[in-house]
Amino acid sequence: MILVALLLPLAGAALCWAFGPRLRGAAGWLATAAVGLSFIAILVAGSGREALFTWMPGFDFGLSLDRLSLLWSVVITGVGCLIHLYSIGYMHGDRGFARFFAYMNFFIFAMLLLVLSDNWVGLLIGWGLVGLASYFLIGYWFDRPSAVAAARKAFVMNVVGDVGMMFAIFLLVANLHTIRMSDAFASAASLSPALLYAICFGLFVGAAAKSAQVPLHTWLPDAMEGPTPVSALIHAATMVTAGVYLVARCAPLWDQSASAQMLVGTIGALTAISAAILGAAQWDIKRILAYSTMSQIGYMIMGVGVGAYAGGIAHFFTHAFFKAQLFLASGIIIHALGNEQDVRLMGGLRKRMPLAFWGILTGVLAISGIPGFSGFFSKDQIVAGALAHGHPYMYAVGIVTAGITAYYMFRLFFITFLGEYRGNVDPASVGITRETTNAAPHEPGDDAHHAPAWIMGLPVALLIIPTVLAGWLLFGSDASPSPWSRFFAPQFAGPATAAVPIPDWLTTAITFAVVLIGIGVAALRYATSAARADAVARLRSESLNMPKVLTHQYYMDALINFVFVRGARLLGAVFGRIVDPFVIDGAVRESATSAQSLGTAVRALQSGLLRAYAFVIAIGAGCFLVYYLVTGLPHR
Amino acid sequence: MIPLLIILLPLVVGVLLYLLPREDVAVSKIAGAVVAAATVGLAIGGRTEEWTWHWFAHPFVANFHFGATFLSHWLVVLLTLCTFGAVVSTKVARTRSMIASLLFLEGTMAGLFLTRDLLVFALFWDAMLLPVFFVLLSWGPHPSIAWRYFLYNFAGGLVLLLAVAAFGALVGTTDVIGNPAYHGLTSGWAPWILAGLAFAFLVKTPVWPFHTWMPATYEGTPSPMVAVVSGVQSKAGLYGFIAISLALFPQYFAREAPVFAVLGVVSLLYGAFIALVQSDIKLVVAYSSLSHLGLVLLAIASLNHLAIEGAVVYIVAHGLFSALLFIVLGYVEEREETRSLGKLGGLGWKNPRLTGAFCVAALAALGLPGLAGFAGELVILIGVYESGYVWAAILALVAIVTASAYFLRLLQGATQGPEVADLPVRPDLTWIEGLALAPLLFALFYFGVYPHALLASGWLHP
Amino acid sequence: MPAHLLPMPLANYVSLSAVMFFIGVAGVIVRRNPLIMLMSIELMFNAANLLFVAYARAWLNNAGHIFAFLVITVAAAEAAIALAIVVVAFRSSDRVDVDDVRTLHG
Repeated sequence: MILVALLLPLAGAALCWAFGPRLRGAAGWLATAAVGLSFIAILVAGSGREALFTWMPGFDFGLSLDRLSLLWSVVITGVGCLIHLYSIGYMHGDRGFARFFAYMNFFIFAMLLLVLSDNWVGLLIGWGLVGLASYFLIGYWFDRPSAVAAARKAFVMNVVGDVGMMFAIFLLVANLHTIRMSDAFASAASLSPALLYAICFGLFVGAAAKSAQVPLHTWLPDAMEGPTPVSALIHAATMVTAGVYLVARCAPLWDQSASAQMLVGTIGALTAISAAILGAAQWDIKRILAYSTMSQIGYMIMGVGVGAYAGGIAHFFTHAFFKAQLFLASGIIIHALGNEQDVRLMGGLRKRMPLAFWGILTGVLAISGIPGFSGFFSKDQIVAGALAHGHPYMYAVGIVTAGITAYYMFRLFFITFLGEYRGNVDPASVGITRETTNAAPHEPGDDAHHAPAWIMGLPVALLIIPTVLAGWLLFGSDASPSPWSRFFAPQFAGPATAAVPIPDWLTTAITFAVVLIGIGVAALRYATSAARADAVARLRSESLNMPKVLTHQYYMDALINFVFVRGARLLGAVFGRIVDPFVIDGAVRESATSAQSLGTAVRALQSGLLRAYAFVIAIGAGCFLVYYLVTGLPHR
Repeated sequence: MIPLLIILLPLVVGVLLYLLPREDVAVSKIAGAVVAAATVGLAIGGRTEEWTWHWFAHPFVANFHFGATFLSHWLVVLLTLCTFGAVVSTKVARTRSMIASLLFLEGTMAGLFLTRDLLVFALFWDAMLLPVFFVLLSWGPHPSIAWRYFLYNFAGGLVLLLAVAAFGALVGTTDVIGNPAYHGLTSGWAPWILAGLAFAFLVKTPVWPFHTWMPATYEGTPSPMVAVVSGVQSKAGLYGFIAISLALFPQYFAREAPVFAVLGVVSLLYGAFIALVQSDIKLVVAYSSLSHLGLVLLAIASLNHLAIEGAVVYIVAHGLFSALLFIVLGYVEEREETRSLGKLGGLGWKNPRLTGAFCVAALAALGLPGLAGFAGELVILIGVYESGYVWAAILALVAIVTASAYFLRLLQGATQGPEVADLPVRPDLTWIEGLALAPLLFALFYFGVYPHALLASGWLHP
Repeated sequence: MPAHLLPMPLANYVSLSAVMFFIGVAGVIVRRNPLIMLMSIELMFNAANLLFVAYARAWLNNAGHIFAFLVITVAAAEAAIALAIVVVAFRSSDRVDVDDVRTLHG
């Protein structure tokens, strides 16, 4: 049954790929059905292990469905199914409609393979294939050069991660002689601390690249070049959380190495706060959401890094809903406004798009951590968990980031929905200096409205339910643990937590206070009646005064470009244009020339004088004669 | 008898094609394809057959002894598959002589891989240079490329012949490949013989710094021929390392192995960085080949059995994807009439099926998990690490990242981006062109998902 | 047996042969007329023949005789070819001097 769940999306992808032009609109329904059936198959299977075949001598390949992979599979196929449905509307009329669904189904297959494999090789194959699917979908509109460049950047950075994982995997396999994960975990304690740290480091390079953690994060904002449903499914809900899955899956390794935990927690905290700050400086609605995704994944990584595994994966669970919700709702806006993504040219959309308004509002409330909404519970668990596992700095970072998050999400919300509609003002008057590159020739435009509205509306409406309510699964106390912690208790047998100096209720209160401050600042800047009346001028001055370090993303892109891309090209040019033709071929040519000059020198002997030759022969014969006269003839 | 048939059938049909009274494209292509397909069947079916004819006994024993060993079986399957693809994809002026040359190349290389005798090996080594040389002379852009190819490789062949003669004189027989009765050579000459063999193998593969004949050759040879040369002929050197150097001189090879490991790593990185800046699509693949085969040499030099298993998988995988890439690049060149990355672009909308095949080939080449290249790569790296070359394994990881960059540059540069207005618009893959690619594509997927098939009956695991 | 019927000592043959040979060598090196050079070469051949026959008699082994005949045959063939070359060479120039014939110089 697990295999069936895995192969259904693959079959869907193959069908859409092979018969795409003939299937037309039916490709969307076929793909959606494949994911939906896969969802059912996962629920039916529930748990279990299936051995498949021998991959290489001594390396057996199998699938396993435990509580952790069940959680991920359910989100992948469940949220995936809704997003597929949404895409039928969003991509309606696109030139490569069937190709899009083939890629989407292929992604679901790859992601399921990633979470269902019981061995490192399957994990790595899934890991690489989700990167491939992401590459295809980012570069889906491949006649747009920016999309092609973004796709390549995402793929290459993900290969950096793959390579880190390969390093960890060959350390593991070479030392433990097994590719089965459970065997590796069982013997993790026998590894030396340095080796264990190296393994965790390699795995985390993979996790950081896939989950866009500092410093391997620069591909994610660019990845927003893909269609919005792709951003929702891959670059928000599922693929980018693979790093969280990996750390949670390898919890037995991390539990053995405190320094590796420290590394992961620190990187997560750093990403959470730096991405949140960048999120406050963006104007493109999808880029704001992309940075918020980075920041929220930073939370999750911090959570699983410090050892608060149940909290980290809980945030994955709630985030998958509210972030998919935010992306899909913003997709409705983008779609309706003819592919406008700049929030400065939106405004006053509350009346025009009520569904998008409610969708984004619930999403914003959830991500900001308003009590009662899903994000509140999971974020709280991470922040409290950081302190409980003895990391006060991360605790502080978590609280501060919560405030910044509330600020930039409400900023997005206020600018988009309040005030007057600014779509018809001159872009320069709101401070847009360069021309917008987002108006793509192939983005489905006006003809897309032929798809019935409910196809895009239904998934948004359905996602509102878990966005609001999913957090209550986490509601519990020490006396009566929440359903969540009871469900995952067998999965993570982590070390007991220390006594906490600050009680949980106080942490909740502090966090909530900081969140309120963030919301207040956003409201003062964008929501007061004065701000609303003066929106155009204020947006203009804010755009023009935005610090350069923020608009250039801390110059990370430029740095990576300069050091690695330029460096590699320079090396290639030196090898190809200097070493090859001059040094190596030079040596070959030199030996040819010296053979030639030797020939010239010996040429003088060939005088053509018959008598000279005869003389030389006679001398030679004389030499033999003298030699044998002196030494005597050889005896037979 | 079957091994002899695999060798003679293409040779005889090749000669007959030369004797055809006039150029007849259909007859030559069908005859070539039938012969290639027949040899695929023979190669898969006849893996345990042997055939011997005693040649001479003085001053040492030499036999025409043919029969597949574990590795040569897969190399012959690879050879016949690639030849099939090359023959079916041939679309050049003077088709008849091209197909005759391809068949001649197939026959001589089958002889090279199937022979169990070192002297016969050395003879076929030189014979297999001839078809490529003549094709380069008549189709290549400049005769100097042909001469360069021939001189480099023939120099290797001469040294090889000398080494083999010395071996025969010392051991008393050259019928030793895969021969359990052979018990090794202990003589002061052994290192010299090994050096002679290694020189020939290094030039043929090629490995840095003996590689400079290779880019020009790959660039100048028409794509069907270069598919076989890069896909299979380049494996002759690696086959020699595994089946001859490593198997016949284990202790001497082990002593010199670090040298080969260093050469392998240098090739690996050197090729990768150069491929990053090439603007000719064929040159990108040519330099990638230098890089990939450096990895295989590293695997062999690590002397680790896991790495060598990986090397076997990777040799087959590299043969498949580089043949596929060169055939596809031939199609692209034929349609767009240019090989420059600066001019190409936007093929994806015009020729989606061709782009799909291109995509699979390029992804397999950059080591995408799930395709054949990855399995070999991963196992090689595990083995190399296990054998203690940690630095080499880490440097190889750098090359893997670089490979993804240059193959994506190639793929995207040719197929993506806006459609270029001044490029000609030609129809997508025809079914005949697809037929040339299908077996190679299938094998890439099959061995990618199930690499165990390559090793299941191997001599590495008795 | 009378003294004049006694077999001549082998040394006499060898000495004669050596003298003839060196006369031949000197002739080839010193003379510039190709006909004389050919005759000098014949002299060397005959020196060798003499040695073959003398040793064949002395060792009672007929191989020497056979070789002498072989050498005579080869010498005849050689002389025929050489004379033909000489004739052709002299058609193009009126002097009889090998030093003028050096088209094979490097």
